[in-house]
Amino acid sequence: MDKGTLDKVIAKALSQGGDFADVYLENRSSREIVMEESRFKSGLYGISQGGGVRVISGDKTGYAYTDEITEENLMRAAEVASYVARNGNHIQPVHIETGKRESFVTVQRPLQDIADASRIEVMERANQAALDYDSRIRMAIIEYNDQIRSRVIATSEGLYLRDELPLLFFIVQTMSDDGTNRHMSRERISEHSGFELFEKDSPEAVAQRAARESIAMLDAEDAPAGTMDVVMENGFGGVLIHEAVGHPLEADNIARGIGAFTGKMGEKVATDVFTMVDDGTLPNYRGTINFDDEGTQAQRNVLIDKGVLQGYMTDILSSKQLDMARTGNGRRESFRHYPIPRMTNTFIEPGKDTPEDILADTKSGIYVQSLSGGSVNPVTGVFNFTCREAYLIENGRKTTPVKGATLIGSCMGVISNIDAVANDLAFGPGICGKGQMAEVTAGQPTVRIRGINVGGSRA
Amino acid sequence: MDYKALAEKLVNRGLRRGADEVEVYLQTSRNLSIRVRQEDLETVQESDTGGVGFRVIVDGGMGFSHSNDLSERSLDDTLDRAIAFAKLTTPDEYNALPGEQAHQEVEGLHDPEVAKVSMDKKIDMALQLEALAMQDERIKNSSGASFGERESRMFIANSRGLSKSYQAGSCSIGVGVVAEKGDQRHTGREFCSRRYFADLESLESIAAEAAKKAYEMLDPQMVPTQRAAVIFDPAVARSIIGGIITAINGNRVQQGASFLQDAMDEQFASELLTLVDDGLRPKGLGSKPFDGEGVPTATRTLVEKGVLRGFLYNTYAANRAGVASTGNASRGGFTSLPGISTHNLYVEAGPHKAEDIIANTSRGLLLKGVTGYGINPVNGNYSGGASGFWVENGRIVHPVQGLTIAGSANDILHNIDMMADDIDMNRSFTAPTFRIREMQIGGA
Repeated sequence: MDKGTLDKVIAKALSQGGDFADVYLENRSSREIVMEESRFKSGLYGISQGGGVRVISGDKTGYAYTDEITEENLMRAAEVASYVARNGNHIQPVHIETGKRESFVTVQRPLQDIADASRIEVMERANQAALDYDSRIRMAIIEYNDQIRSRVIATSEGLYLRDELPLLFFIVQTMSDDGTNRHMSRERISEHSGFELFEKDSPEAVAQRAARESIAMLDAEDAPAGTMDVVMENGFGGVLIHEAVGHPLEADNIARGIGAFTGKMGEKVATDVFTMVDDGTLPNYRGTINFDDEGTQAQRNVLIDKGVLQGYMTDILSSKQLDMARTGNGRRESFRHYPIPRMTNTFIEPGKDTPEDILADTKSGIYVQSLSGGSVNPVTGVFNFTCREAYLIENGRKTTPVKGATLIGSCMGVISNIDAVANDLAFGPGICGKGQMAEVTAGQPTVRIRGINVGGSRA
Repeated sequence: MDYKALAEKLVNRGLRRGADEVEVYLQTSRNLSIRVRQEDLETVQESDTGGVGFRVIVDGGMGFSHSNDLSERSLDDTLDRAIAFAKLTTPDEYNALPGEQAHQEVEGLHDPEVAKVSMDKKIDMALQLEALAMQDERIKNSSGASFGERESRMFIANSRGLSKSYQAGSCSIGVGVVAEKGDQRHTGREFCSRRYFADLESLESIAAEAAKKAYEMLDPQMVPTQRAAVIFDPAVARSIIGGIITAINGNRVQQGASFLQDAMDEQFASELLTLVDDGLRPKGLGSKPFDGEGVPTATRTLVEKGVLRGFLYNTYAANRAGVASTGNASRGGFTSLPGISTHNLYVEAGPHKAEDIIANTSRGLLLKGVTGYGINPVNGNYSGGASGFWVENGRIVHPVQGLTIAGSANDILHNIDMMADDIDMNRSFTAPTFRIREMQIGGA
C-alpha cells in the first residue's frame, strides 16, 4: 500500500474531527508443530493479514479493522473509526514520511530459510532427551512455534515505519508418574531470533530442565498454609513483579484514576533494595519490540528506583491524558486490536547479596523455584500466582518439595516486604494477557519476600 | 458470496492437490464493541472478518493451515501448506474425519434484532448502566461500561460428504465500578450475555449487582489459618467443576494425564453432584446443532449422583478410545484445530436454599472470588486465592480477602455436603451454591 493512499485514509479518519489517527497494517505467517507421546500430532501453518484504523479524540478511541488491505476497505474502516470524533477538535494531518528507529534484533539463521525437517529434528531431540532422563518420565509434549510479523505504521503526526520481526517459541512439557504421584512441568525458550536460538540453548537442555522438575516433584508433600517468608529463585519468578507491580504501573488505569499507584509518583513505595525496570531494547529478548505499535522508539524505563516511584508505562493516549512522555509501551496483539500500555521485558535490577546467603539467612518458609503463572487486579493491586516447583525452607536450607501452592498478596504489601535482592538476574519468557496477548519476558534475581500468604492444604 | 458452495469446492480442490481426506472450515463474523466511562464514550470498535481453515490427512498424517486471505492464489497456497505438513507428521490410524449424520436445529441461536438496534441506543444503554451503577454513595469511580455484540456464520464441509452450516449471535452488556473508603479500593463487575437482545436483564439489576459486589467488600478482616467449611457461590463454581471437565477430556484420559482416567462408573464425588452437558438448549449461549467437526451435539449426563458416567470426545479421541464421538469437538474459530469442550454445562440443582446453607454453617467461608487455576486436572491438587465473607453461627459476620483455600480433589469432591437450588440456566457453565464440609483455609 503506497504512502499516498495511507495519507488519504488518515485524512478520512480525521474528517469528522479528532486529535490523532493512525493506520496499522500487518501480515503474520506462523507455524506450529506439536509432538505428543512421541508422535508428530499436527502441523499448522497460518497466514493472518489485515489493517486497522484508529482515531483518538479527547479521551475517546474509535477503531475498525478489515482482513482485506484495500483502499476501499481501509477508507470504510476510517469512516467507522471517525464516529467517536464527532464534535471533537480538528487537526491537519502531516504527510507521512519514513522515520528512523534503532533495531535490537539480529538474525543469523533466518526462519524463512529453515526446512521443516530441521524443525522436526529439534523436536525429536527434545523428546528423546526428556524420555531418556528417567524411566518415570511417561510423556513429553513438544511444541514448536515460529512466526514472522511484518507491520506498517502510519500516523497523522507524519510518521511512517515498517519492519519485520521473527519470533521463535519452543516449549517442552514433561509428565512424570511413579504409580502414586504425577507431575507435569514446563520449560520454555523464546526469542526474536533465527534458528540459532537452539545453538545457544539446546533442545536437549530445555527438555532436561523440564524432566528434572517432573522427577523432583514426585516426592512433593502437602504445602503448609498461612503467612510465611518466601525466597523466589531467579528467572521467571519475575512474573510476580510483572503481575503485582508491572500491571498496576501501566498508565491506562492511572489515567482513569483507578490504578493502585494513582497519585503516588515520586513517593517511596518499596524498600531501598528494590529497583524495577521495563526495557524493550534488550538484544533479541522475547519482549523486545524495537518500536512499539504506535511507532514510539523502545527504551529503558526505570519504573521504581531504590523504592521510589519514577515512571508509568504509557501509550500515546495515556501519555496525552497524563501529560507525560511516551515510553514506547503502546502495543497490540494484532491488527484486530488497538494499542494499549503493555510491558516488554520487565525485571528487578540485581542487588548485592548472593542467592546462597539469602537462603542461609532465612530460618523457615517456602523456596519457590518455578511458577505456572499468575494474575492481578490492577485497581486493587491484589495478586496471586501458582507455584509449580517449591520446597520448604528449614533452618536456612531447601528441604522437602511441596505441592503447587498459591501465593497471594497485594502489590503495595509485596514491594514493601522485599528485603533481600541477589546478584543473579535471569529472565523467562511469558505470554501476557490483558484482553489481548503480548509476548514478554519477566526477570528477577533471587529475592526474599517477608510474610506472604501461602495456600497449602496442610494446617 | 456463497460460502457453502465455496467450502464444498475447496474440499474437491484439496483432494485434487493430493490429500486423502479434506475438511474445510469457513467462518465469517461481525463484531461490535462499545465502551463508555465517566459519562462519555471511550471506545467504539467494529469489524467484519472471515477466514478458512484446512485440515487434511495424507497417508495417515494430519496437517492444518488457515488464512484470512480468500483470494484464489492464497487458497491454493494455504491448501498446499496443509498437505506438505500432513506428509511430515506421524501417520496415525485414529486420524479421520466424521461422515454425514443428521442433526437437529437448535432454536434461538440468532437474533436479527441485535444488529438493527442503533449505535446511539447501544451507547446510551451503556451510559445509563454506568450512571445507575454509580448511584450508591460508596461507589467512587468507574472502570467503564460496555456493550458488545457478535454474529457469526460457520460452514463446514469434508471429503466424506459432510456439508453443514449455522448462524449464531449474541450480545452482552456489563459494567465495573470501584468502591472506595480511605485507602481501600474494591472492584465490582457484572455483565449479562444473551442470544436475544430482548432477553438482556434490566440495566437496574445489572448495575445494582456490580455496585453491591464492590461495596459489600469494604472493611474486610483477616481470619486465622484453620480448617472450616467453604460455601461456593455460583460465580466461583468453575474453580471446582472446571477441573473435573478438563480431567474427563478424552484426549487427556488417553494420555494418562487425568486424575479421573480410571474412575469410570466409580463414585468419585458426593451423591449431590450431577453434571449435565446440553448442546441443544434453546437460546443457550453454548448451544450448537453440531460440533466443530460437524458431529451432532446432544444432552449427556457426565456425572450422575457422584458417579462418573462419560468422558468427552471429538472424533480423534473417540477413535483412539474405540467409541463414537460425543459431539464435543470445540473450535476456536477457523484458525484452530478441533479441541474438546462442553456446550452448556450445569450442575443439577439440589434441595436447599442458599440462605439455608449459610444458616447451617457454624463457621466457614462464603466464597465469592477465587484466583488461580482451580483443580489441577493431572493430579487433582487444588490451591487458590480466596475472598468473600466469613460466616459464624449461621450468619455472615464480615468480608474477608487475601485468604487461600486448598485441598485434594478427592477430599473436596466427596465432601460436598449441601447443594442449593439457585441455578442460573442462562449461563453456559453454571452451578448452584454448594458447600464443601471442610477445607484448609490460609490466613493470618
